[in-house]
Amino acid sequence: MFKEIYQYRQLLKSNVRKEIRGKYKGSFLGVLWSFVNPLLMTLVYAIVFPFLLRNSQDHYTTFIVMAILPWNWFTSSIAQGTNTILVNGGIIKKVYFPRAILPISIVVSGLVNFLISCLIIGIFLICSGIGFSVYIAFLPIIILIQFMLQLGIILITSSVDVYVRDAEYIINFFISLLFYATPVLYSLDMFPARFKFFLQLNPMATIISSYRDIFYYQQLPNFTLLAYVFCLSAFILFIGIKIFNKLEKGFAEEL
Amino acid sequence: MKKTDSEYSILVNDVYKKFKLVYDKPFTLKERLIFWKNTKVGYHEVLKGINLKIKKGETVALIGVNGSGKSTLLKLMTKIIYPTKGEIKTNGKLTSLLELGAGFHQDFTGRENIYFNASIFGLTAQEIDARVQDIIDFSELGEFIEAPVRTYSSGMYMRLAFSVAINVDAEILLIDEILAVGDQHFQDKCYAKLEELKNSGKTIVIVSHSLNAVKKLCNRAVWLYKGEVREDGPTDKVIEKYLEVCG
Repeated sequence: MFKEIYQYRQLLKSNVRKEIRGKYKGSFLGVLWSFVNPLLMTLVYAIVFPFLLRNSQDHYTTFIVMAILPWNWFTSSIAQGTNTILVNGGIIKKVYFPRAILPISIVVSGLVNFLISCLIIGIFLICSGIGFSVYIAFLPIIILIQFMLQLGIILITSSVDVYVRDAEYIINFFISLLFYATPVLYSLDMFPARFKFFLQLNPMATIISSYRDIFYYQQLPNFTLLAYVFCLSAFILFIGIKIFNKLEKGFAEEL
Repeated sequence: MKKTDSEYSILVNDVYKKFKLVYDKPFTLKERLIFWKNTKVGYHEVLKGINLKIKKGETVALIGVNGSGKSTLLKLMTKIIYPTKGEIKTNGKLTSLLELGAGFHQDFTGRENIYFNASIFGLTAQEIDARVQDIIDFSELGEFIEAPVRTYSSGMYMRLAFSVAINVDAEILLIDEILAVGDQHFQDKCYAKLEELKNSGKTIVIVSHSLNAVKKLCNRAVWLYKGEVREDGPTDKVIEKYLEVCG
């Protein structure tokens, strides 16, 4: 499977380009929308939430922007990824190519967006006076873990969605639920230890907290938790590859 | 691959293909739960024990009336669908032209679509760079190559798609009734190109109803009838028998 994907690397490349450019073709701002969107979201939260929560976070806008951007990568990957086999049904029925290219290119195009978003985080860090620290060196590890987790999830959801179209709606519901269970707008430290433990079962909680550790608090991320999330992500990815390989043979007939 | 296999491009070994026919297919969970024992399921056996050995460099025509399983067999060879029973082995790089322009992106220019379409066939960027001029020349699109594909006429669209597919340089070429492309001039050009590929030792499997074209191009014909091989041999003989029965 991996050999074949390597052989079709050009398809992966042009498909990623298509995902990034094709999506906003025809709109005035084009690709910029993928950054304007989360920034507008940040703006709304930054205005609304200080009223709702008595929050003690300094630089609240900076505090949430570095969580919203990776969260945005997560949700857009999962939402588009779950659909990707259905959306590309036309070409799946007509040409052979390694089907896994489709979900992979969704996560990769999201990654490209996110790497550019990191510049935005940088701008916020400078403007708020927080600045940078050496802990940013851990950024690639966190990104890698998030990448594996997302790819694993959408390998499963995209192939299941072909057979049961409800998958899409169920997933969308869980994502909006997960948003509240993930410390995007708040910090996990606001919760008592017992409750915090349950929230930490959610892999995205640790991933988001780790981004915040290296950018905002400028400290080492929690490696015990990160190791747990790494193992969980690797496991989900493994299962995802198995399920996808099993289900992909029926794609052309089911679509 | 074993040494004995290497002289063959395609080996079809006792292949059966059954399609599930589900009436009122339950796509959603609700339907699945409510009707979980109520969905009528029928099976339609399209291929019943096909055996075929296609040698390297052979040009084979699959003929037969509609619904005899020709296209299904071609799809099985490309690995778009998989056999219910039996196995299919292919040896060498394979390109299929089941439908022209599969995966063209309407908003991208002709040139961009060449890159995208050729990459679907598994080419790397360098390989496409080397071919892009040939493809554009073959398509005769001229300056339109820089215009978005959605502005193309259907003839231009087909010409571009065929030009990409035929210039991919595969060892095995599978073609499904798509040679009715463009005007007479372009069709002639396509056949000339196929002739050239044939002479350079490529394996070609073609599904077609235009028997005259098949006679000229192919040296072997396989007549499929109701999912079974009815006749297999030199093109002239098979077509003669086919016309006796179906003509």
